Amino acid sequence: MDFMLQSADLSTGKLAYYVAGSGRPLLYLHSAGGVRLAKTLAELAKVNQVFIPVLPGFDGTEPHKGVATMRDIGKLAAEFIGKVIGGEAIDVIGHSFGGRAAAWLAVDHPKLVGELILECPSGFRPPTVPKPSDDPKIVRQQMFAHPERLPPDEKSPQQAAANRKVAASYHKDVDYESELVERLSDIQSLTLVLAGTSDGRVPVEADYLLSERIPDCHLIFVYDAAHNIEVDQPDRFLTVVRSFLDRGKAFIVNWGEHAVAGIDASTAASGSSTSRETLALDSRDHVHF
Amino acid sequence: MKFSFSHLMPWPYFPTAGEDWPVSNKSFIPEKATGVYEDYISAISFADECGFDWVSCNEHHMSPYGLMPNPNLLGAIMTQRTKKARILMSGNIVPLLNPLRVAEEYAMLDCISGGRLIAGFMRGIPHEYVAYNVPPNDSWGRLREACALIKKAWTAPEPFGWEGEYYQFRAVSIWPKPRQTPHPRIILSASSPQSARFAAEQGAMAGIVRVTDLDTVAGAIKIYREHAHECGWDPTPDDIMVGMYCNIADTEAEAKKNLDMGLNYFVNVLGGGIRTAQRLVVQKTRYYQDEENKEHITKRAATHAKVTIEDRIKNGIVLCGTPDQVIEQVRTIHKKWGHGITSVNMKVGKIPEPAVRRSLELFRDHVKPALADL
Repeated sequence: MDFMLQSADLSTGKLAYYVAGSGRPLLYLHSAGGVRLAKTLAELAKVNQVFIPVLPGFDGTEPHKGVATMRDIGKLAAEFIGKVIGGEAIDVIGHSFGGRAAAWLAVDHPKLVGELILECPSGFRPPTVPKPSDDPKIVRQQMFAHPERLPPDEKSPQQAAANRKVAASYHKDVDYESELVERLSDIQSLTLVLAGTSDGRVPVEADYLLSERIPDCHLIFVYDAAHNIEVDQPDRFLTVVRSFLDRGKAFIVNWGEHAVAGIDASTAASGSSTSRETLALDSRDHVHF
Repeated sequence: MKFSFSHLMPWPYFPTAGEDWPVSNKSFIPEKATGVYEDYISAISFADECGFDWVSCNEHHMSPYGLMPNPNLLGAIMTQRTKKARILMSGNIVPLLNPLRVAEEYAMLDCISGGRLIAGFMRGIPHEYVAYNVPPNDSWGRLREACALIKKAWTAPEPFGWEGEYYQFRAVSIWPKPRQTPHPRIILSASSPQSARFAAEQGAMAGIVRVTDLDTVAGAIKIYREHAHECGWDPTPDDIMVGMYCNIADTEAEAKKNLDMGLNYFVNVLGGGIRTAQRLVVQKTRYYQDEENKEHITKRAATHAKVTIEDRIKNGIVLCGTPDQVIEQVRTIHKKWGHGITSVNMKVGKIPEPAVRRSLELFRDHVKPALADL
């Protein structure tokens, strides 16, 4: 599945974005490393129409006037959904830096977010938890449990450094965004928090904080993955995310391989959430004590 | 020095030596099993009264070698039939089991016992994998992941899911949680270099059982200590348990006779089928992962079957004799290994129950008091 680079005119400037696939739209907000068109995204695009905006300033793009904070990125994403995707509630994945932006999107624009997936989101490190090391060697270990699985076409060190600088201009080195934390209870979306068991950047305390404060939240630990689950364990990422996107709350049920195949097919064909709703009704019909 | 009373619960009525795997159960006598279990449970209870710091049982499958396919059932009984001793589960063989079931049952034992559980996460011996139809090649991967999952199940303050290589759970929130916080102390086998390194890496206690010579144990302990240091912590003597076969009697001759008979039955009669399964696993899989461990285990198994009681005593690999002799033997191994917990297995093979009880009494009256300074 090839992604095509396109551009949208938003109120704050031109926004580049990648798009691939068809079906139910899915917005993906990238990490502080910039856009990485990983295989996981191509796989998701086999069922969904996946939109990946290049957030302003990243990967050599121009910054937008008036987009200066994480909350502003959430607002930008809301405008992108309205103008480019069509304004209906769509499912959203945010990784790390993008997870924080996705959380802002969900609290400020709850009607625009269907299901929310926060993949190792930054910004929720409780003040009592020490900051991780900035030693580049250690940072790499914190980021990747399996660096050998990184694709060869990674960004140049210069671009990576520039992206980190852009990210810092948005999050201002704030590790615990208290205003956002206070508003996590406003999130109306069914939410999945994905955490790597070896993540050295986001502490487990942040995962628990999210799980505790977001009203309808599932926390899944992906074993033997660090901060970049999609690089370390792409199959595990896809298994959980595909299942969550297709079945909603019923993703906790093991349907067996054959049932899964049938549900996937009908969901993909209809491009709607009908199957999820049907499953929820079925489960209510079969409650026994 | 702390002491642990370990029980394998062997079947004492097996008729003849054999090498078949699986071991036919046609000679099993259910009516006798009731009495056997009561004898064994009573011995554990008496060990608690005799001042043992820990009591212990383990897990084995499909063999007269040990009648304990689920040690947690015995653990539950031990919570009621002992008062002070900590309860060491030197099972569960977690790669064979549902790790969440292990987490739940251990949490139950910890709560019921008032926080006396010491949680063993064992990899098991090869025949267990044949018995439960689990690929032996997966044993290390399963053990490693199960350890992480169980610890998470015990400590996570929020419901969570788990997407791993061997285990997938979408919604976990166990009831009860363990009484000890953050969780019960964990003990892992450290008999081989690979397992010693794993125990150190996990921050767990090291359990070394089936001693073939003093130097091998010393080597495993050295690896454990060094690797723990590399991992950022330094074990104390109380983190190291070594297990020995033991008989204490009023005379040296009687102790030798008891242990010789017990070991001969245990190793040569009950152990035959297990050795057959072990040979198959070692030959056909990567169970031992590397040659270092394979050599270690196969050498140990071969040696184990042939050594005489005199050689075992001379080499210091059993505790056997009068109380004074056993006291000296414990001092010798302690000097050599610097460990803090000696686990003794007194019901070796079919040593008669009165002889086991006498060993316990002599331990209580002479051995333990004399070693109070260790």
